[in-house]
Amino acid sequence: MTPRRSSRVLLLGIVGLLASCAPGPSTSASFEPSTSPSAIPASTPSQSAAADYPLTVTDDAEREVTIPAEPERIVSLAPSNTEIVCALDACDRLVGVTDFDDYPAEVAEVDRVVTMAEVDVEAVVAAEPDLVLAAGNELTPSAVIEQLTDLGLVVLVLYPESLAEVTGDIELVGTALGQGEEAAALVDDMESRIAAVEAAVAGIERPRTFYEVSVFEGTIYTAGQGSFLASLIDTAGGMPVTGDALSTSIEIEELVAADPQLILLGDATYDPTITPESVAARPGWETMTAVADDRVEVVTEDVVITRPGPRIVDGLEALAGAIHPDAFAE
Amino acid sequence: MTAVVEISALRVSYDAGMPERRAVLRGLDLVVEEGELVALLGPNGSGKTTLLRAIAGTLLRDAGRVSLFGRDLDLWSRVALARRVAVLPQTSVLPDGFRVAELVEMGRAPHATHWFGSSAEDGAAVERALADADALELADRQADELSGGERQRVLVAMALAQEPELLLLDEPTLHLDVAHQASMLGTVARLRARRGLTVIAVLHDLNLAAVHTPRIVVLGAGRVAADGDAASVLRPDLVRQIFGVAVDEAHTSEGRRFLVPRAAP
Amino acid sequence: MRAGVAPRPLVRARPLTRAAIVLGSGGLVLLGALIVGIGLGSVAIAPDDVLRVLGHRLLGIGASSSVSDALETIVIDLRLPRVLGAMVVGAGLACAGTVFQAILRNPMADPYIIGTAAGASLGATIGIVLPLLLPALAIGAGSAWLGLGVVQLLAFAGGMGTVLLVIVVARNGGRLPSVTLLLTGYAVSSLLAAGVALLMFASGRALAAIFAWLMGSLAAVGWIDLVVVTPVVAGVFVVLLARWRNLNLLLLGDGPAAHLGLDVGREKLRLTMLATLATSATVAISGTIGFVGLVVPHLLRLVVGPDHRLLLPASALFGATLLVMADLGARLAGGIPVGVVTAFVGAPFLLWLLRRSRRVSTSMAI
Repeated sequence: MTPRRSSRVLLLGIVGLLASCAPGPSTSASFEPSTSPSAIPASTPSQSAAADYPLTVTDDAEREVTIPAEPERIVSLAPSNTEIVCALDACDRLVGVTDFDDYPAEVAEVDRVVTMAEVDVEAVVAAEPDLVLAAGNELTPSAVIEQLTDLGLVVLVLYPESLAEVTGDIELVGTALGQGEEAAALVDDMESRIAAVEAAVAGIERPRTFYEVSVFEGTIYTAGQGSFLASLIDTAGGMPVTGDALSTSIEIEELVAADPQLILLGDATYDPTITPESVAARPGWETMTAVADDRVEVVTEDVVITRPGPRIVDGLEALAGAIHPDAFAE
Repeated sequence: MTAVVEISALRVSYDAGMPERRAVLRGLDLVVEEGELVALLGPNGSGKTTLLRAIAGTLLRDAGRVSLFGRDLDLWSRVALARRVAVLPQTSVLPDGFRVAELVEMGRAPHATHWFGSSAEDGAAVERALADADALELADRQADELSGGERQRVLVAMALAQEPELLLLDEPTLHLDVAHQASMLGTVARLRARRGLTVIAVLHDLNLAAVHTPRIVVLGAGRVAADGDAASVLRPDLVRQIFGVAVDEAHTSEGRRFLVPRAAP
Repeated sequence: MRAGVAPRPLVRARPLTRAAIVLGSGGLVLLGALIVGIGLGSVAIAPDDVLRVLGHRLLGIGASSSVSDALETIVIDLRLPRVLGAMVVGAGLACAGTVFQAILRNPMADPYIIGTAAGASLGATIGIVLPLLLPALAIGAGSAWLGLGVVQLLAFAGGMGTVLLVIVVARNGGRLPSVTLLLTGYAVSSLLAAGVALLMFASGRALAAIFAWLMGSLAAVGWIDLVVVTPVVAGVFVVLLARWRNLNLLLLGDGPAAHLGLDVGREKLRLTMLATLATSATVAISGTIGFVGLVVPHLLRLVVGPDHRLLLPASALFGATLLVMADLGARLAGGIPVGVVTAFVGAPFLLWLLRRSRRVSTSMAI
């Protein structure tokens, strides 16, 4: 039972990244309220932003990585990593990206070293990178990370599971690239925007919010319990209806019992046939409060909602705007 | 002259899936001397094939003793046994892709000394076997192209390649037509004379046994019911008692005796 | 007997020269495949650069300073172990397939048929999923014993363990009836496959990794894997080849083989364990690559005949060549799993074999 579109594999993978309870630096089995903007980032560079090389950092997989010199040739193995590099004004240093990378526009010129989630190790080596940014939790297979490390490449594994960890990763990459100032500025901006969202939704009643990641062969995928996506919804002022922590799926009966007041159709970003009308027509869904109250919203920003990069705040704002349109009427 | 086969009080039973095992041989005694040609007869299920397998050492027995060439069967290694005892089973499939000569050479396995090839002695033995089995001209043929009779001769050659002293045949005439039946048993007799073999053959045709084998052992109720030459064993009253069929004696124009089943009323 | 017929060497059935020709040409073809496999890949490297690197690193001649470090790394650390790994895995699977077809006398027998694939898959899947379920076990792929990862060790253990279980269940007195072995293997495999399916369902994001493993891939084969697995496969091959006579005897059937002096039950057990050892070792580093172990023995049997003296080495050579080329195809096609390529090549081939020759089935009559 393979997904029809191979893009779905990567999609599920990226969503899984956000949506599931994953082992890692900050393991938590239950849903926790989001941390405040001034939370400690998950990974701490051991030196200040404007550092001399060589420097040693600890990545999201708890690996101590030594970077001998300022990286000039960067390979990114995930779209979120690519966006971080470009947001830090180092886009021109990229020599290898994945075929799913679509932002910003400059990366279209960069060589693809990952095709359909398959890392071409030969191509990575041929690009002669001095820094490889991999994705954690098997999005880049650990066997590949092992291979690259054994070949002597400098590999940094990134795997943020919360807003605070995203900003932490941006700072980490900033340190690694010698773009500490740019990183600090970006993080400040992001944190103030996050604070603004939190202030705007503070005290407002939180609707039970169901974010539909995809419905595939009768299985409904949503934010897993304790996942990044769940925490994002919470920060945006909603009460997320969550699915199983590991598989991120939810049974239709559980969903009906949870009775969401608001349904956000993340998969509508990619599939125009998914509309409030098509959802209302699904057997059993019409009983939900959201459907009855006509609070089923099409979401077009699923990419930024599920990509743990610098534009995650765009995603947060999009979510908040969908959950509390009155508070964000512009 | 030591007996080739000595069996005493042999008991063999099968696990037929029922609570009790089905006893086939119930205390059988038999002695076969060197150079004898013995036919094993008996009704279906009387244990002829079982007895043959027990002698060949490929069947576990419940009780009793079997000794071959003066040594208890349990003390024989499989390979040592294969060097002296050859078995021609009831049904045999010849694997495809081999030439007849290669198949016959497989019969040399118990004697094989060379790791990767065959010795000159092996080659000679194969030639002899093919010649004795009247299959020399089949040597280069592919096994799957042979007719039934030709296949039978190849099987005999394979058995002879083992250079056995004891030859066990399980219904060698089962799938053969009348002509081949006669020639098969004639060959067996000839081989016995030429190679000094001891032969025990399970047969189902009373008259055929009468013509070709000097000694007939009839099994009944898991034991030896009759043992002797054709004249003393194949008598209508014995046949009726053991096989449960009424037969009449008849004679050919040359005076040879044979038995004819009476037509059912 | 006809007098005047010159005595012919009836028994020197296949002259040594024929074997030499077959094996010699097989070896040459393999060598060619190795060269092509090392020279081609997703990154284009000029042939003389490849030769320069190989000459320098392997034979110590010349300097490779003209070739960049990256290209040298690609040839020596990526392509070379992978291509050699394909060779070893292909040879191992083909040998194991040949042996299982002889033991089970079934034309559909492949190296995995009595449970190796199902057991190894379950082991590997547990290895992939367990660290995600229990974070304390989140160790990297290469951090276990002897440089081999948890997934590989569990796959090996799963393959061997399952076959042992199947043998224990199928054994009847001292005998190992072929049909019982086959059916027991099927039943146990089905059970374990259900376990794999369950784990796949619960695996979340690890699903892609599990699926890639099941299809089989040589992408992760490094020098350590090669150093550990090659002696195992080579050793098994030598021991199997030495038992060629027994393998031939088994083709006659259990009864006739026993009458020719073979301890059939014990020999089948020995052969099964040897073939399973080679299979489990290869599966541990490459996942379950299909069709090689099934099709290669059939094909070679058509060409060189059923005598295992020649069939085993010929199968090994051709299996190695096939997998090297299939892996090259997989690499050039964008890194798809090599099991996909072998399926695309192997399945039509099998159909053609079945149509072409009834020999394929009748030599396997039970």
